Amino acid sequence: MENYDVIVIGAGNGGLAAAATLAEKGKKVILFEKHNIPGGCGTSFRRGRFEFEVALHQLSHMGTEEKPGPLRKQFKRYGIEEEIDWIQIEELYRVNFPDGTGLSIPVGREKCTEFLCKEFPEHSDNIKRYFQTVYDFCNQANEFSAKSEESTEEPGAFKKFIMKKGFPKMYPTLAQYGLKSSQEVLDEFFPGCPKLQLALSVYWCFMGMRPDRFPWSILAKCTFIYMEDKPYYLRGTSMMMNQAIMEAAKRMGGVVQLNCGVKKIIVENNKAVGVVDENGKEYRCKKIISNISPLATYGSLMDPKDIPDSAREYLKPYTVGISALTCFIGLDCTPEEIGFTTSFTLNYESFDANKDFMDAYKLLPENDPLIATCYTVDDREVSPEGTSVITAGTLKYAEEWEKLSPEKYYEMKYEAGKRIVARLEKMYPGFTSHIEEMEIATPLTHMRYLGHPGGAIYGYEQDLRQSVFFFPTESKLEGLEFASGWVNACGFGPNYTYADKVATRVAKEV
Amino acid sequence: MAKTIKETLLGTLVHGEEILEEINVLRTVSEDKISEEDPATARLKGLHPKELHLMVSAIYDTGKNAKIFRLSSKDGYLPPFEAGQYLNVFTVIDGVRTSRPYSISSSPRQRAYYEITVARTNNGFVSDYMLDCVNVGDEFTASRPAGVFHYHPVFHSKKMLMLGGGSGITPFMSMIREVLEAGLERDMILLYGCRNAEAALFHDQLTALSETFKNFRYYLVVSDEDAVWSGERGFMTAELIKKLCPDYMERTAYICGPEIMNQFCVDQLQELGFAQKNIRREMFGAAKDITKEAGWPSNLNGSEIFKITVNNDTVIEGHANEPLLTALERAGIRVNVCCRSGECSLCRVQLVSGNVFLSKGMMLRKADEKYGYIHSCKSYPISDLSILL
Repeated sequence: MENYDVIVIGAGNGGLAAAATLAEKGKKVILFEKHNIPGGCGTSFRRGRFEFEVALHQLSHMGTEEKPGPLRKQFKRYGIEEEIDWIQIEELYRVNFPDGTGLSIPVGREKCTEFLCKEFPEHSDNIKRYFQTVYDFCNQANEFSAKSEESTEEPGAFKKFIMKKGFPKMYPTLAQYGLKSSQEVLDEFFPGCPKLQLALSVYWCFMGMRPDRFPWSILAKCTFIYMEDKPYYLRGTSMMMNQAIMEAAKRMGGVVQLNCGVKKIIVENNKAVGVVDENGKEYRCKKIISNISPLATYGSLMDPKDIPDSAREYLKPYTVGISALTCFIGLDCTPEEIGFTTSFTLNYESFDANKDFMDAYKLLPENDPLIATCYTVDDREVSPEGTSVITAGTLKYAEEWEKLSPEKYYEMKYEAGKRIVARLEKMYPGFTSHIEEMEIATPLTHMRYLGHPGGAIYGYEQDLRQSVFFFPTESKLEGLEFASGWVNACGFGPNYTYADKVATRVAKEV
Repeated sequence: MAKTIKETLLGTLVHGEEILEEINVLRTVSEDKISEEDPATARLKGLHPKELHLMVSAIYDTGKNAKIFRLSSKDGYLPPFEAGQYLNVFTVIDGVRTSRPYSISSSPRQRAYYEITVARTNNGFVSDYMLDCVNVGDEFTASRPAGVFHYHPVFHSKKMLMLGGGSGITPFMSMIREVLEAGLERDMILLYGCRNAEAALFHDQLTALSETFKNFRYYLVVSDEDAVWSGERGFMTAELIKKLCPDYMERTAYICGPEIMNQFCVDQLQELGFAQKNIRREMFGAAKDITKEAGWPSNLNGSEIFKITVNNDTVIEGHANEPLLTALERAGIRVNVCCRSGECSLCRVQLVSGNVFLSKGMMLRKADEKYGYIHSCKSYPISDLSILL
């Protein structure tokens, strides 16, 4: 039997960062991954001449070399910041409207404000006020969370009363907007201007939650972070970054076991004390960090008698989130030849994003907003000269796909692919004739590779009552912790930095 | 119960009280979401079972040094597949666990069984075993059907040009059977290259099908000069393709056959002006003689034996002319594996020190190249090595 300070289950973004941070802090750590490659969602695959990115669109939290963001600092600690070629993205995104017009949004608060004021002069005051509100909100939120980290103890009744009275005065923007939906806030600032609303609400699709259920606080944070820290991509897909973190973890003394999943968590006296791997080998530890869903951690890895009732109770309100239907396409032409100019685009079939989003519950793409990313725009070396890599797809709940009989599956998968390509053909005439490679991933494909219920790509539904202030971060079993997109904001940057925080705390405890 | 400070403060936010109340209600009325059965595995077992348990239900000797094995499922269920896909069949021979990918030659429109066709190869460790030792009733495990050598309805032409060689006819049998049996709206021309007519697998069947169906034309192309044959002769050259298939530019071409034939056909199609997207190649397994491949170090003749250190603790032997994967399997070291042709990356290992010869067709990721990962099925030791699994 081997002994470790910490065992990490799953080498997704969170698991890798947790293992690397613990190794960096000199802890004896082992990371188990059932797949043959690390990365979880953050990986790539090969077809023909192409290597396809699976998940990363724009990396947040990086910041520039002069003004490094938290993620760049973290990567510096791991010694990998200089191993990777970072690519700063020049435009935030482009929104294409059903009337054939579109808006490409520049990076930076001033540039972005100026651009939008020029496009929508009648709303220029509101645009400026909106960005001011975004910044006020984020600054107040950061201030408040820094302050609450100082005091961990529950205050007495009197202090609670004082804080309750003081809070809305000290943090007025936070109190006013902290629990509003994106739609509510955009309606307040830009009534009757759907174009402007759609131009500013794009990040809803990063979390898979339609604007009228999507917390504005996340939208504001995304806007703030991408404006300030700039969006980044990197050479060699997210697989490069995750392989780099894995190698760093090993270099710093961590052990990584690929092709080896965990079969069971050992619980003794209501405490997680170790694991059994899929080959039946036993390992003991002081703490376990789970990078897989809490549902699978408790349900699949624990003996039913060991699952705390409080965990069942705690997870009851949380609903499994959305999956995706994605086409990975290699073209035998340059982006210019078919008219792709901005790497990340969101394409609408109508001006009502909330209504169009509802097609996510259907089997096939209909009016679903279409997300299309052309990686070649930012990185000419992403595929051979004269070719392009594009991923295009829609968010989809798995339910209808789960109901399909296996016989119908392939037919529906190709029908879905055809519909997405038809949408692209309409916007970029000639598109279809340039397809050299194409792979279609359905919600079931995501389910198969991630092992997530519902093929969820963002964990639980990130709506007002399940995210931000209400993430299910708590573990209900001593010795067990969670670090993944299931218990915190999903996305690469948030996951790496959150896992770093958890691992740093755990390192002090073991 | 008194409210926590978090609840207290959240209650001061606009909408705070109503959201907190909603969560409390949900906590009371929602169902328990933790289940013992992994929901993903349960949902996927009809489509993507983790492995197949197969039994040989019939064997047909073609009389051409190849046998057709009819495989049925031990538990009665076989998942659907796409015509052109393969199974990786695991065997234990003389105590060595290994596997080989075989294209399915039966039609996907029926799934009572899958059929694979195994042809004898020179010194074929597995093919000899399959042809000489396997009987009806024997059992195998196999991967579920996999592979990307198949018709893609989104961007392939409905007109197909199939170029097959030797036992590379097998995926085409599945494709042809599907199209003709189901009456699919597709047009197929098959050029099948063989040394002589006697060696051509499925020849009578293909001839009969081509006589029955208008949308299928079949040409056997015989290469042995002294063979008795009244049809097409020579190789599948640009000229021959042009002659037999005048509308070639409207077609998507599919190539499956020995490595030399495969590359030859690609060259011919490129000469005819085929865009890369219209040339679909089936991958091929380990080279027959790796020392003949371009770039092979001239100071090695393939008979060398090198020491391979695995996971810093086990030392095994590896022959220069055999893939690293074979050395690992012979030593009883379990490695994940599927395509054995360099594509799928399941057999990926990290090369810590030493040199390997990377055979053609290995599809590495950029991160693999940077951090020294290789696919063991197409890597040959050319010095002592240290690897991590």
